[in-house]
Amino acid sequence: MNCEVCQLKELEVEHFEIREVLRCILHTIVFHRALGLVRPKDVDLELFEITYVQCGDVELEKKIDERIDHFISWVEKHPNKKSQICLSFYEVKSKQPSWFTNKTERLYWEQWYVNLNVTQHPKHHSSKSHHAKVVVDPGESATEDRSSRRAMVEASLREVLFQIIKFVNEKKDHVPPISDGVIYFPYEITIPSSSDSAFGMDMIKRMLHSGHPTMLS
Amino acid sequence: MEMDRESGKLEQIVSQFRSKILHVILNSRIPSLHHHYQQQEPLSLARVRKSDKWFNLVLGDRAAALENLNFSLRNLLDPMIIDIILVHHSSCSSSLDNLYTPSAAVGSPSDETVIERWVVQYDCARVNATPSGADTSSSYKKTYKKSIILLRSLFAQMRLLPAYRIFRQLSSLSQTYNVDLVYKVSSFSHPFSREEEGAMKEYSFVPVEAFPGRLCVSVTYRTTLSDFNLEPLVSLPSNIITDYVGSPTTDPMRSFPSEKGFHATSFSIRGARPPSPSPFQRPHSWSSGFHKGLPLMQNQSLAGSPPAYRTSPKPYDVVSPQSDIYGNRIRNRLPTLQQATAYDEYQLSPPFSASASPSPPAYLSGANPVVAHHCSETAPVTIPFPLTGRNSFHLSLNSSDPSRHSLPPLSPRSSKHDASSQESPSGIRSYRKLEALRAGESPSGLSINYSAQKMVRDTKDDSGRFSGLLSSSGSPRIGFSRSSSRLSFQDDMDDCEFSCPFDVDDIDVSDSPASQNVEGKKALDFTAQSVPVGKKSQDAAVGMLVHMLRTAPPLRQDPSCYSTHSSKTVGYEGGVGTASGFFMPCKTADALEELKSYREMRDLLLSKSGTRVVRKEEM
Repeated sequence: MNCEVCQLKELEVEHFEIREVLRCILHTIVFHRALGLVRPKDVDLELFEITYVQCGDVELEKKIDERIDHFISWVEKHPNKKSQICLSFYEVKSKQPSWFTNKTERLYWEQWYVNLNVTQHPKHHSSKSHHAKVVVDPGESATEDRSSRRAMVEASLREVLFQIIKFVNEKKDHVPPISDGVIYFPYEITIPSSSDSAFGMDMIKRMLHSGHPTMLS
Repeated sequence: MEMDRESGKLEQIVSQFRSKILHVILNSRIPSLHHHYQQQEPLSLARVRKSDKWFNLVLGDRAAALENLNFSLRNLLDPMIIDIILVHHSSCSSSLDNLYTPSAAVGSPSDETVIERWVVQYDCARVNATPSGADTSSSYKKTYKKSIILLRSLFAQMRLLPAYRIFRQLSSLSQTYNVDLVYKVSSFSHPFSREEEGAMKEYSFVPVEAFPGRLCVSVTYRTTLSDFNLEPLVSLPSNIITDYVGSPTTDPMRSFPSEKGFHATSFSIRGARPPSPSPFQRPHSWSSGFHKGLPLMQNQSLAGSPPAYRTSPKPYDVVSPQSDIYGNRIRNRLPTLQQATAYDEYQLSPPFSASASPSPPAYLSGANPVVAHHCSETAPVTIPFPLTGRNSFHLSLNSSDPSRHSLPPLSPRSSKHDASSQESPSGIRSYRKLEALRAGESPSGLSINYSAQKMVRDTKDDSGRFSGLLSSSGSPRIGFSRSSSRLSFQDDMDDCEFSCPFDVDDIDVSDSPASQNVEGKKALDFTAQSVPVGKKSQDAAVGMLVHMLRTAPPLRQDPSCYSTHSSKTVGYEGGVGTASGFFMPCKTADALEELKSYREMRDLLLSKSGTRVVRKEEM
């Protein structure tokens, strides 16, 4: 089985927008991969005029929020850095235990990369300005700039959601069969760890587990 | 056979898929169906229906319309075309015009635009192909799984298309608009015009293999709906009728001596258009021509002017069916409502009004005593005693502070007029009456029974006078409330026992002139017994009276107290007439005289009841 990878379009968001944007994207992806019995729940974003759909599973919501909190903490410690969250779906396969491997194995069959570029507030603008794309134009009024920027982010977010839907529609064969009583496939949300090198190590570990090279599309 | 069983399953999947898609689309686009879904109790996943389990998507009950549609489109090979149509009601004719001619409103032209077209088709090109056994065994499972994924993506995409925002706005129960979303399901459709195609975009979902054919879903949608201005049908601004004349039982032919200006009033009507730029004018309550418009007619206007309707000769009606129901209720309730507002209004009557100079009402026998007491724009006239046994309003003085004369507190606006208005001596006599009542009653206090406490309160719409009085008395405000809350307001109006002190039916007007005479005589009789006046200046006396009125505690309802005292009052007064409110003396001397007579009457009552009268040298 191939591991399908989807690199979502990069979004430029401000710090206070991270939570809403990530919730929207992650829940949308999981909803498309929650092929068990669900009662869909419409959720309106507060910052944007977008409605996304959740599975209605409380545990799922909690776990996603927890990962988002970790991500936000990481962003605060690493300002002016492009960041990436990886949502992976896997199958659990049992294998012969050995000295180096566990009894079970995770076979990743799908990975979603959410790319964010968290812009800093102009007051906290650091010296490494080439990474943080400052949107504020001193020439425009603050309100107009905010609204135009907000519209841009909303349009970009919509594009990302359409991208998810398109990907989901185009790639269906790799999706494992649905198990009875299971609402959604096992998943994993990976955020960058405290150091970039650790993040890279996570990627390597995943490659070893899946047995397939990560394909960047 | 195995193949037949498999094909049967596949057919079932295709059939249920069409039903499910229809359910998803209409639930996400048609407000009425969405409301049906919302009204259902939220089901736990353990109690889902069989239909919900299909494609693992719980959508709740299907409306009956959907069931019928499913039945009519059972031919799986026919495409199922679902048009989402935006019906834009014509805005060239105002809803007020439509109210004039209700029949025209029904047939009024409206624009219909297909904003989305969903096409669900089972493309069975390879009808004669015979799959191998291995293919069929797992094909329906894969088909089912992929159908689930397709439905998920369709469900999510419906929230991202432009039509969803309109759907959400129309689904809002707090507002009605000039557009509506309807649907049409058929197996054929008229092609779009070039112009329409230019404004639309098509998106096709990846077909799902469903051997021997495939399930195809596509949508053609308008990329922008900004051309369709959603105009909320705002409620008309609600105003308190400050110059309401009287109840429907008032003689419409009764005239007043002078005709004053017009006041614009309006009602909140859900679904009605905003009022025309020139607000409707209605005659002043004590104007000569006003009562010709009374009583309320069933077909009188609801928007912009009260039942006087002299300026709106055509009967009103409401446009939409929804409003019709609401409108009818408005009409039925309106007399009571206006009656209610009028009573309270008269309580605050003309001295407290910011309106024009006084003009006397014609205080005729059989006339509306409420109107008679309305003397802000009248010349000084004799005002009868406010209370009789037949009076419906309940008064009980708060005698916690005997010196305060527990009169209802004045509104801030009314307070301004207290010192400056030059009302007739009738106002003073009314105080005498109240004082007399107070003298004979129990310590429970005097209050006006605001049975309208049951009414919906609309704090935003009250006039300053209303709010002032009611807030100071602790009683609820009476006013128009918007939209659906007014329905309950109207119902409450009917339900509550409205025993406002100025309830017309319970006030014996005919006794008023006699009562005035009696009162006057008795006042004179008591004069000899009264405390000498000249010890303090008249101005000081007036000032003290004003202070008394201002510091009077809130009125409260005390029916038992009222019934007791009203009888005493009747006995004492000899059938003296009607309710009065709270009138300020027009002249200082009048005020003083009124006060004196009031005190004397109180003393007399107390002496009769065996209560020791403590006379104070206040003056």
